[in-house]
Amino acid sequence: MLSDLMYRLRTLFRRRAVDGELDEELRDHLDREAEKYRQMGASDEDAMRSARLALGGQEQVRQQCREARGTRLLEDFIQDLKYGVRILGKNPRLTAMIILSLAIGIGANTAIFSVTSTLLLKPLPYADADRLAILWLRSPGIGIPQDWPSPGQYHDIKTQNKVFDAAAILYGRDYILTGLPRAIKVDGISTSSSLLPMLGVKPLLGRVFLPEEDRPGQALTVVLTYALWKQSFGGDASIVGRSITIDGNARTVIGVLPREFRLNHEVVPTVGGIDKPEIFLPLPLDSKDDQDYGPENFNILARLKPGVTMQQAQADIGAIAARLREEKHRDPSFTISVVPLLEQVVGNIRSAVLILFGAVALVLLIACTNVANLMLSRATVRQKEIAMRTALGAGRKRVVMQLLTESVLLGLLGGAAGLAVAAACLFAVRRMHPGNIPRLDELGMDFRVLAFTLAISILTGIVFGLAPAFRASRVDLNAALKAGGRGARSGGLNVRRDKLRGALVIAELAVSLTLLTGAGLLVRSFVHLLNVPPGFNPDHVISMHVAAYGPKYDQDAQRFQFYQSLAQRVLSLPGVTSQGAISALPLTPSVGWGGMQIEGYVPPPNQPELQVDVRTASPDYFTTMEIPLTRGRLFASSDTDKSQPVVIVDQKMADRFWPRGDAVGKRIRRNEKSPWLIIAGVVGVVKQYGLDTDTRMVVYYPRSQHPGGSMFLVARTTAEPSGLADAMVQQVHDLDPDVPVYDVAIMRKRVHDSLARQRFAMTMLGAFACFAMILAAVGVYGVMSFLVTQGTPDIAIRMALGAQRSSILSLVFQQGMALALIGVAMGLIGALSLTRLMGSLLFGVSAKDPLTFVGVALLLTLVALLACYFPARRAMRVDPMVALREE
Amino acid sequence: MGDERLELPQGTLDLLILKALALQSLHGWAISERLQQISREALQVQQGSLYPALHRLERRGWIKAHWAISENNRRAKYYDLTRQGRKQLEVEMLAWRKLAAAVGHVLDMA
Repeated sequence: MLSDLMYRLRTLFRRRAVDGELDEELRDHLDREAEKYRQMGASDEDAMRSARLALGGQEQVRQQCREARGTRLLEDFIQDLKYGVRILGKNPRLTAMIILSLAIGIGANTAIFSVTSTLLLKPLPYADADRLAILWLRSPGIGIPQDWPSPGQYHDIKTQNKVFDAAAILYGRDYILTGLPRAIKVDGISTSSSLLPMLGVKPLLGRVFLPEEDRPGQALTVVLTYALWKQSFGGDASIVGRSITIDGNARTVIGVLPREFRLNHEVVPTVGGIDKPEIFLPLPLDSKDDQDYGPENFNILARLKPGVTMQQAQADIGAIAARLREEKHRDPSFTISVVPLLEQVVGNIRSAVLILFGAVALVLLIACTNVANLMLSRATVRQKEIAMRTALGAGRKRVVMQLLTESVLLGLLGGAAGLAVAAACLFAVRRMHPGNIPRLDELGMDFRVLAFTLAISILTGIVFGLAPAFRASRVDLNAALKAGGRGARSGGLNVRRDKLRGALVIAELAVSLTLLTGAGLLVRSFVHLLNVPPGFNPDHVISMHVAAYGPKYDQDAQRFQFYQSLAQRVLSLPGVTSQGAISALPLTPSVGWGGMQIEGYVPPPNQPELQVDVRTASPDYFTTMEIPLTRGRLFASSDTDKSQPVVIVDQKMADRFWPRGDAVGKRIRRNEKSPWLIIAGVVGVVKQYGLDTDTRMVVYYPRSQHPGGSMFLVARTTAEPSGLADAMVQQVHDLDPDVPVYDVAIMRKRVHDSLARQRFAMTMLGAFACFAMILAAVGVYGVMSFLVTQGTPDIAIRMALGAQRSSILSLVFQQGMALALIGVAMGLIGALSLTRLMGSLLFGVSAKDPLTFVGVALLLTLVALLACYFPARRAMRVDPMVALREE
Repeated sequence: MGDERLELPQGTLDLLILKALALQSLHGWAISERLQQISREALQVQQGSLYPALHRLERRGWIKAHWAISENNRRAKYYDLTRQGRKQLEVEMLAWRKLAAAVGHVLDMA
């Protein structure tokens, strides 16, 4: 086998020498054969002639020898390639058009493939990433789709499971790092010592936590991430052993993590909503914590034993959950689910990415169809050349191969140009990066992407080349050669004579209609989202997160005093008309909730206590945000820590428990031990978690009675609010440089950013759909214009016989519209079945939204009409005299 | 002149070439002459089909070619059987005999 290959390669590279040797061998044979005949008495001339006859056609022998060497295919290919390059060079405009179409089609596919590959295929950057899982509590029966576990549950899982070889518990929130020129907020994760080794993290400097640090009574330690170490400590190589101040406590730095390590929000959504942890702290739990099922604020990560499947793990953990359900009297739907870590990261964007991938594949399909059409036109023009080759003895296979070589060559050229397009697309995607699409910052082109591009380039070349090649190879020799080089007529002005091209255009229109429908539905969803009232007025409001806690702010009075002073300072800034503060601002990751008891309401048995969102607000928060008061009153300065405790509830809670509008004056409390709180007022519902997400019931506490340390400051301004950002931050620093300020943004931007994912999907799909529509329009134009060119004599004759110009015009339109309407009808059918897959991306619009369907059908018909117009006008202006004389 | 002679069945040309080369190394024309002789002029060997067959056998590694000066003092391409080729010859001869016997047997039954 190997020698065979070597032989083929040798002959391939020594082709000229091998051919020369063959010639010499044949000459020798002829000489000897002739010599034989001469000796038998023939004349020189007769002897040579007989010898030639005996050997047979020399060229044929040579050809057969080449075939026997097994390199014919490749030699032919090289010949075809040379010829192909020459042919493509001869018609640079057409070639450029084809390569451009392909470049866009292939480029867009390459870009989306690299997005898909980065997001969905690349393993997470941890050791044994496919064995990692995150655990969630679920109680779908009582409206809690997902909740954090508690230390008690962690203890049970860790000690009772048979499927994990490691498990870790962690808790995330933000901390304040002081001792630097200015205090900063850092995101931190407290965790058991098992976490970092389980993820396969080796410290860059120092060590990670020891198992004894999982119990209380150890020295306070901290591990820094690379980024924090570089930014805040200048990459100090002697940092290990140094003491730093976190939340007012001195902690010894014991290690620095490697640069590439990250454990971001999308991987582990902590209860504190931190984005990127910058410090890791030990999480000491004592034997009392091991029995504590109350604080459901922790994350549990685990690693499956080798060979254990996620299903097996789910079954085992499900059994533990069932036990807990019995012992702890949880609701009947309570369970603990094991979610593969990659699923956690990409689960809710998978469908969007796959839809985009599908859409972009359709665009490529249309591009292919278009190019196939262009090639068909060219093949028609080249019929004479092909007929000539066939007449000279080229087999059908040979002709098809040659045409395919050309189209694959085009495909590869398109692919090469497509790489540039893809690079540009990726640049745009990175610029548009909404921030909340996980892993997008890892985006790039790797070998996988390049292999994909190569593969689709070749495939594309074959797909768009096949039909024209077979069509061209079935040439009617006589007709083609007689037609004198202008190519055979498709005959008259009837698109039905050219079924293949008609079918291609119909397919193009159908596919682009499907894409347009998808894009249309997304646009409609987006408009719906934009029109969702957020419950507050985001215009002219600036907001920032201020964190006053630590030893200086241990006392309620200290915190209250700090924010009171800050309020005075902010209000004195020019341009600020009002200011307020809230513990959890809408459309930020900040959260706050707790149990609540309502006087006169007994929750059904077997259900946990009522859970509501709780927030602490300053009196002017509601007026600053323009959240409407519907009943009662807002907080006032008369609500103090000495006066009657009051709350404000939102309309949702009021409607749920006091539907007759009599909420004001009713009493609620956190638990049996806490005092009753009187409802002072009812305010409008605020979209806290996103415009497309249902809110939960909310209880607002007055800041004077519950002074929190971490607050969002909001200020309404007369002018563009962003100009006030620096001045407001400065006020905080002036008041206390140890209080960090972060997450500064105008409310308008928060609303805008909260729609980033939807905007991203809409823009991408919209762009693909537009591109598909343009390609389809070019396709219709191409076919109609070709039809008119081919049918010019026919038109001329009709005109000479007295046909009106308007009837010629309508003839062309009829042909074009027949194609368009069939395409649109088929596209509608396709769209009906495909848009169902988009359910998760839609908001306020049905996947069968009639307005969208009718709208895009009309739009595409209009575009097709326009594409027919130019060829039709040309047909109308045919001068019968000129056209017929050309005949 | 060749009306009486048999057309060579497909695939047997390779066998005959191997057989011819089993005795000594030969150049192209000599192989063609030798085939005529040993088949007692009964087989019709197209001289033209000889050369593709030689290339094919060389590709399979059953024969090897080298250039040498021939008896009439000219450069000629000589072909030799390789060890693999010798084995192949045995295999094919055995196969041919079995086939011939089997076909003969079938024909005798009638």
